[in-house]
Amino acid sequence: MAAQGQEDMVTQYQYVPEDFMKHLMGTLGIVSVLVLVLAIWFGVPEEAPLTIQKDALQNPVAFEAMTTRDLNGQGRMASYGPPYNDGTGNLESVVQKWVGILHPLNAEDDFIVKPLEMAATVNPAITPVLNRFESASPAQKVLWANNYETALARGTVKNGLVVVPSGDYGPVSTLMNDTLKLGESGLMSGALMRNPNVVTRFNNQNYELFLEGDPLHTAAAPLQLKGTQWGIIHSAVPGYPGAWWMTIPSWIYQWPFVANSPANDGIALGLGFVVWVLLAVTPCIPGWNRVPRLLGVYRLIWKDYYHQHTADPAVPPENLP
Amino acid sequence: MANWTSASRQALADLLSVDTWLPETMPEYAQGFMYMLGSLTASSFVVLVLSGVVLAANGPASWSYNGADRFAAAVHFWAVQAFFFFMMLHLWRVFFTGAWRGGRKETWLLGALAFLIAIPTAFTGYLINGDFYSQWNAVQAKDGLNALGLAWVNLPNAGQMFGMHVVVLPLTLSALIFGHIARVRLKGVVPPYPAAQVQTHTSKEGQ
Repeated sequence: MAAQGQEDMVTQYQYVPEDFMKHLMGTLGIVSVLVLVLAIWFGVPEEAPLTIQKDALQNPVAFEAMTTRDLNGQGRMASYGPPYNDGTGNLESVVQKWVGILHPLNAEDDFIVKPLEMAATVNPAITPVLNRFESASPAQKVLWANNYETALARGTVKNGLVVVPSGDYGPVSTLMNDTLKLGESGLMSGALMRNPNVVTRFNNQNYELFLEGDPLHTAAAPLQLKGTQWGIIHSAVPGYPGAWWMTIPSWIYQWPFVANSPANDGIALGLGFVVWVLLAVTPCIPGWNRVPRLLGVYRLIWKDYYHQHTADPAVPPENLP
Repeated sequence: MANWTSASRQALADLLSVDTWLPETMPEYAQGFMYMLGSLTASSFVVLVLSGVVLAANGPASWSYNGADRFAAAVHFWAVQAFFFFMMLHLWRVFFTGAWRGGRKETWLLGALAFLIAIPTAFTGYLINGDFYSQWNAVQAKDGLNALGLAWVNLPNAGQMFGMHVVVLPLTLSALIFGHIARVRLKGVVPPYPAAQVQTHTSKEGQ
């Protein structure tokens, strides 16, 4: 038994009978009933995903703007950087660069060219257009794509195709409408989740990343899911609890110097980890580890114990543990 | 070198003892609702594992077309809410009572580690759900991990997230929770701070 004062705790207390198994079954029963009632009453919050098909059908002009940015290198994934490619658009730290390209992704090839090559076996008219694009110089491709992206600001939809004022787009306008049609068909998912070595399709990385950028952000904003909206702690379905245990990292994300940094994601997550470290080493931080003693909340928690031992100081030594 | 079997028998004797895991008495100060919070958290974890086993057995997207599995997903969802709710209350209780005193720092650390690992355990579950929340957060949260050099964990890869969520993280979390509870049982629940009156009384007792 620790000596009085050495560990800052009492040594005078008794053990009282307790049916521990009943205690455990009781808490399990409480949680089971609570969770079952909540599940029956409220169900589970599910917001339908933004499929590539849905986005192509609902926002054809914005869809083509996104796919065009895969060709001129301005897309979120086209310019991302490690671990997907050698871009710098989302390069937040040196360590991110050191880790390197672990999950290779070439937005132009993987998102546009390869899916269209497959589509061309069904629609051979795609092949010459694709060949013209593929045989052009990189600078020419970017110029066509830049011109087309600019023109899409005045794009309209006619007969299911996006139409823009005439200009120097080379084959890009046709390719983008072919990509739109592929998206609308629902076949893009199969074209993106390819692995000729296996028949399973566990890795949906390219499907998930295809809509990175404007489409997902546009869909997330009204649901209050963006980082600047404390998104991680919000449910996609209003009224349901989200991952509220991430409140501290979400709060850190709002700090101006974090929010305005190009490395905002890494800083917020890193500082969140620092907060956890402080929690974990609380017992070893002089001063901080005395705060509970100073706060005195323990007096409420052990109210009965203190009351008992103040009112009845004669605890017989033979009853001590 | 010492006999490994003897050393293991010695170490496991207390750890696997019925007296450790099924005590028939408790300290008088460890009573009431405040001392149910840890058990409520552990009970929530049990419900999580049971509902998770149902979901894993039927496949990760079965909830989207099977009503019974959708109910299992609802149970899983509310169980994780209960888990974090009770864990947070438990955390407040152990903080306000300075529960690391008396050689209980490791107990605190194991609890803190369980809290840390519980976060990605829950998050990967959200990621393999396949709804919009899942889709959005897989794409958004990758940036922070990539920036910290953790790109090996590829959030948009649902296959990797499935393995993380149903095997790697829950096993890790289970081990941490086991270690945490084992330490609580072996070391006991921290005794109260010596309040002024009790201190006086104790010092008299000690005379």
